[in-house]
Amino acid sequence: MSSTTKPQGFSTESGSRRADRIRLLAQPAAVVVLVGAVLVWAFTRNNDAIEAESINAGVLLTKTGEHLLITAVVAAIVTGIAVPLGVLLTRSWARPVAPLFIAIANIGQAAPALGVLVLFFLWTEWEGLWCAALPIAFYSLLPVLRNTITGIESVDPALVDAGRGIGMSSSGVLFRIELPLAVPLVLAGLRTALVLAVGTATLAFFVNGGGLGELVDTGYKLNRVPVLVVGAVLAVGLALIVDWIGAVLEEYLGPKGLA
Amino acid sequence: MNLFDYVADRWDRLSLQAWLHVSEVVQSTIIAAVLGVLIGVAVYRSPIGSALATALASTILTVPSFALLGLLIPVVGLGATPTVIALVLYALLPITRNTIVGLGGVDPAIRDAARGIGMSRVGVLARVELRLAWPAILAGMRVATQMLMGIAVIAAYAKGPGLGGEVFSGLVRAGSANATNQALAGTLGVVILALLLEAVYFLIARFTVSRGIRG
Repeated sequence: MSSTTKPQGFSTESGSRRADRIRLLAQPAAVVVLVGAVLVWAFTRNNDAIEAESINAGVLLTKTGEHLLITAVVAAIVTGIAVPLGVLLTRSWARPVAPLFIAIANIGQAAPALGVLVLFFLWTEWEGLWCAALPIAFYSLLPVLRNTITGIESVDPALVDAGRGIGMSSSGVLFRIELPLAVPLVLAGLRTALVLAVGTATLAFFVNGGGLGELVDTGYKLNRVPVLVVGAVLAVGLALIVDWIGAVLEEYLGPKGLA
Repeated sequence: MNLFDYVADRWDRLSLQAWLHVSEVVQSTIIAAVLGVLIGVAVYRSPIGSALATALASTILTVPSFALLGLLIPVVGLGATPTVIALVLYALLPITRNTIVGLGGVDPAIRDAARGIGMSRVGVLARVELRLAWPAILAGMRVATQMLMGIAVIAAYAKGPGLGGEVFSGLVRAGSANATNQALAGTLGVVILALLLEAVYFLIARFTVSRGIRG
């Protein structure tokens, strides 16, 4: 049971190394073919004036750039908050409050992403990048926080004792034993957070944050299917590429001794 | 008007939408469970088949839900159809993955023993393997349901039923009276319903997991 119940909540982990290998090879190829085919179709067909307003290199690059910027800002916020918070919560003096933070983060993820985004917009009356990035970051925080805590807590206590025994300070133990051993789980959490972020960034346009969701919305509202399809396919391609980058990072940044 | 007054005032509409929300999520989870278990049963004996099925399902889960809904609108139109298709697709990964892991985790000695007392292949699958894998499958369904509760909110963009409609009209009416109450009622409603469903899953597990493996 322990292995099957591990991926709690949102997780794109396949639970199989072979499946991960297949995705590592097939995913970028599929993205190139899919996005390439759709772009060729969109640019070679006879676009009317309304379609041409969205389907041109400038607009597509701007929207993709906005989308990537939101994703990057979210990833930076999540890494900057969740990893240190996770480390703090595993210190012996913070153990009693750790379940509280996990519970808050759990409820945060049970809340629908769009609801969190809209409420943040209504309450703060902000617009644009930060109004989109902050709630998305809050929403993506949990996988990294939980994995950091689990990763550090699952380090064999004998190794920590051994570290202390050879005279390492507690910060030495943290940085040279606990964190390196927790890296694979932290990276897996970061990959999940990245996928959540790049997916939720398609909703950023609801609060004037731009991104590829805006093209989908434009195509839908103006009844221009090509615009909708180009926006959606670019968003799909971007999500698959970001997920792939996460997989590559997981593969190559993890400590070699643990493979 | 505060949130409580608002909810009391609009109770008829809100409770109907809450019901529709739960109903579409539960129905989609059940469809996905049937498909996911069938896929799992079909591939779990072949390592390559399992790898392909989980790779494909996890790729689907990577697709942003808003983009998938957008792509479904021109094909199947608006309303419940694109909503259910999207929800079923997203629920497939946790269920298929857990079915394969659960069936693969059955002790081969138990399988041999069942064959040894004369049970057929189908009998072994239905009466031994699937029952032992059931806690894992149920855990996959629980994860899927939790995820779908949030995705169903986004599906209101394609005019799908449920509480997402409240969130959207709260957004559209931003600045006017009750806009925040409306979005808040929709969002909190989804959180509360998700917690209730979590309790239902706990009860289902309590009553359906075979007594011998109940931890």
